[in-house]
Amino acid sequence: MSGPGHLSRRRFVGMGIAAAGLGGLAACSKGSSSSGGKVTLRFSYLWTGQEAKALEKVIGKFNKSQSKITVKGVSNPDAQAQLAAMTGSKGAFDISDNFGSATGAWAEKGVIKSLDDYIKKDSFDLGDFTDSSMAQCRYKDQVYQLPIAVNNSALFYNKKLFAEAGVQKPPTTTSEWAEAIGKLTRTDSKGRLTQLGLAGASGAGADYRLLGVTHGGRWYDKGKPTPENPGNIAGANFYVDSVIKKYGIKEIERFVSGFGDYQSPQNPFYQGKLAMVVDGEWQPSFIKNFAPDLEWGVVPVPYPDDKPELAKTNLVAPGTFFIPSNSQHPDEAWEFMKYLVSKEAMLSFTKALSNLPARTSLLKDPAYTSIENFDLFLDLLASKNATSIPSEPSLAQYTADLATADDKITRLTKTPAQAYADVAKAAKSYG
Amino acid sequence: MAEATLARRTPGRRRPALAGFAFSSPWIIGLVVFMAGPILVSLYYSFTEFNLFQSPRWVGLDNYATLVKDPKFLGSVFNTAYLAVIGVPLGLAFALLVALALNFPVRGQPLYRAIVYLPAIVPVVTASYLWRWVFNAQYGYLNQVIGRIGLPQPNWLADPVWTKPAVLLITWWGIGATAVIYLAALKQVPQQLYEAAAVDGANGWQRFWYVTWPALTPVTLFQLVMGVIAALQIFAPTYLLTQSRGNAANGGPGDSLLTYTMHLFHNAFVFLKMGQAAAMAWILFLVIGLLTSLILLTSRRWVHYGSE
Repeated sequence: MSGPGHLSRRRFVGMGIAAAGLGGLAACSKGSSSSGGKVTLRFSYLWTGQEAKALEKVIGKFNKSQSKITVKGVSNPDAQAQLAAMTGSKGAFDISDNFGSATGAWAEKGVIKSLDDYIKKDSFDLGDFTDSSMAQCRYKDQVYQLPIAVNNSALFYNKKLFAEAGVQKPPTTTSEWAEAIGKLTRTDSKGRLTQLGLAGASGAGADYRLLGVTHGGRWYDKGKPTPENPGNIAGANFYVDSVIKKYGIKEIERFVSGFGDYQSPQNPFYQGKLAMVVDGEWQPSFIKNFAPDLEWGVVPVPYPDDKPELAKTNLVAPGTFFIPSNSQHPDEAWEFMKYLVSKEAMLSFTKALSNLPARTSLLKDPAYTSIENFDLFLDLLASKNATSIPSEPSLAQYTADLATADDKITRLTKTPAQAYADVAKAAKSYG
Repeated sequence: MAEATLARRTPGRRRPALAGFAFSSPWIIGLVVFMAGPILVSLYYSFTEFNLFQSPRWVGLDNYATLVKDPKFLGSVFNTAYLAVIGVPLGLAFALLVALALNFPVRGQPLYRAIVYLPAIVPVVTASYLWRWVFNAQYGYLNQVIGRIGLPQPNWLADPVWTKPAVLLITWWGIGATAVIYLAALKQVPQQLYEAAAVDGANGWQRFWYVTWPALTPVTLFQLVMGVIAALQIFAPTYLLTQSRGNAANGGPGDSLLTYTMHLFHNAFVFLKMGQAAAMAWILFLVIGLLTSLILLTSRRWVHYGSE
């Protein structure tokens, strides 16, 4: 029990300070970065691999079109390093990406620039961005980030297993859903699960955030956490009643622990171990790669029988760009950001990732028709029931506490009502 | 050369001392600037609300008071205490047994020693990832083996009851270094004591208890102190076993692997509560100091030094 595996307190504190200091130093050395009349913009992004390649293509196109700005892209998928770089007086980058969920926490601390002045000066049109994506980019009525790629989720189903179980059509209401789960779950002669109607793609739990919303719940109201909203509790209860309690958590966990890697041909949904799974809009291209022979369909997450007005409810999470407050070239960064979220760049980037575009005008673009079943996700994003969890400063801690509660719910150590009551209690001290 | 010249010109002790300080100054300056400085600054931060980006705001003892009411803090203390109280004594006992076994003069002894030590040089990240497979409830190697001998096959990394034993298994797997130190200590036990004991008709257990163990107590004290300090700061295995996507705070199933340093890390880098994290660091520092002193105090009763 020794060695580098353990975080020495001293080294730990020292590291943080040193990292912050290094960020500052790095900034000093690169600060004056104009060569030949051109400003060099430092663009640090969290994407890697194929996604980074798609982004570099966009950068290349921008650079070709420019006489004043050269963008230098660096793939740095370390969120901690990103934070550290933003603590110094001179930043290590001028523009970067994160998620809409970061907006509130950063905006409140003054880490990222408000884009309002730029938007006003250029009469930049925000009208084309989907409301649910922009909601996460705003904090206290100011815009701090702009979205490029958007994620949402729907219910995937295995057509072959549906046919075998005699389920005629994918469920649209929660009662149909519960029935389908029952018909699509199978056990062997020893009573061990061999096929589950529904579960999380990588674990025994479910997407409780989304289930809450599809049951009419809300996770924030007027900036305050509302975990005890009846809809949130109803959503969790649906999963607990129709899956966990029916088949037993011990047995489900044993079955789920045999699931292969999410991003591989061994994904339980591709393997036919899971008849239905709630997953994201990137799956059509994943399935094409990892399980080209799979017969699958996708429908909106079912709505409660008595609430048809909640049909097509979905949760939206945008990938976003921001300018840190310590950027050395914020004006040029804004110029580049405008290009990044332009229709041309957004289309080329999102298509490569098979992510959704954040612009309404792209939702019907024929470029996406080559991706199988992608139209459903585009349709969901355009729906009036597309919503997002507001990006409040307390979101990270709230999310962590909710995850703890989700775990207790899945494990049946607490009912959804009890678990979310605990979160509500803890949320009072978020400040 | 320079030192010799200095010494000849100035008999007495001051000059060499100064030279010594001069030579060690890079280290001393490093210590003050990069260690002592930040440590003191962190003490100040522990009394402030500080998020890395804005100036710290003095809040007095608030951070400490908040921790007492934080259920995750209490949970993390329990998890860490579990790993230390069960892990360290058993780990030492296990290492001692291994060392005793390795001390038997058998053929292939160097090979066995190498095998025992080998896991200690595997980087903790690599080891933790490998163990993630070993622990898999359905196709993991461990359950295959214990299933064959008819033992129950727990869901190691998904069941909160079994996650901490899993971490202990990983740390015990790497006891090679501890065992090697014990082995070195075993070599130092004077042979004539065994001979004297044999003359007095002592059996194997008596020889161990009256000769071997007293001789090993100083080394045990050292390893106990180091083990406790390491256990209270355990981070990498638990962090890697619970790792999830992105920068999210995750304490494993039922927060069963949320150790003290992990909660500290979450506070600092996920919730951006540096003040809170600094307060946790200082509490840990004080607890480690206290425990170490306690162990050293009680050591007078059970540690025997050969010269005394």
